Amino acid sequence: MGFSVTGSHVVMFIASVIAAGAVSGVFIAITYNISGSLTERGDRLQEQLDTEFAIINDNERIPTNAGYYIFYIKNIGGNTLITTNQTFQILIDGDIISTSDYTFNPKKISPGEVSTLQISITLSSGDHVLKIIGPQAVEEKFIFTI
Amino acid sequence: MGLSTAAAFAIIGVSILIVAEVILGDVVPLVADIQESYEDMRDRSIDKLQSDIDIIDTTTTTNGTGYDLNITIKNIGSTVIDLRYMDILIEGKKETFNHNSRYLYPEDETTLKIYNLTGSGNTRLKIITNLGISKYTTYTV
Repeated sequence: MGFSVTGSHVVMFIASVIAAGAVSGVFIAITYNISGSLTERGDRLQEQLDTEFAIINDNERIPTNAGYYIFYIKNIGGNTLITTNQTFQILIDGDIISTSDYTFNPKKISPGEVSTLQISITLSSGDHVLKIIGPQAVEEKFIFTI
Repeated sequence: MGLSTAAAFAIIGVSILIVAEVILGDVVPLVADIQESYEDMRDRSIDKLQSDIDIIDTTTTTNGTGYDLNITIKNIGSTVIDLRYMDILIEGKKETFNHNSRYLYPEDETTLKIYNLTGSGNTRLKIITNLGISKYTTYTV
């Protein structure tokens, strides 16, 4: 009789410890996952806030060089901008330009500096729209005429 | 019964402390960093609104087969302009220029010099400041 009472207390104790441990484990694991996701999202948001650029060309005078149209991208944000055809996508009149048809030089610009974008494309006379999408989907639109 | 309840509460209490440490250690600095980035972005926006230049005068002097160009500009905004990050486009093409000082203070004027340009007739000039504020003018060679 005494042992059955003690035994049931021990069983209850072990069961409650196991249950509390399981709940705590799940609680901590979920918190770590959420914290990790929040940190990643926060880093992306921070990069988005720090990224800003402008296309500074003269709308009516787009220079050319050996069949390439030249555009100037100025970093007016707060951080260094990596300018490559992996970090930037180019659209002209809504059509995406293949990454092999455009290059940037230099490939990294500090705030205030300019990178030259050369695009190999044939454009008809008239108005066109250039859209540049940079890191974290920060984009700029530029209307020009040939 | 009492001991098992106490043990369960102790285990859950420790896990709450761990969760609090994770939140304070990761989330709070993240919020501070985002706040700082947001304030930087806001400061840049304010600077852009308060920044402006005026092109006062352009003069050309013949230089062999080309010409030299002097551009006098005035800072008509309320922010200091860093001339190292100013850009000049002549007929759409970026040109390098010389300047006497690094900063152009509000209400001050300075002359920018570009040497050995080619071309004739009506010529378009665009000046862009470090924050992307721009002004156009035309001059005749």
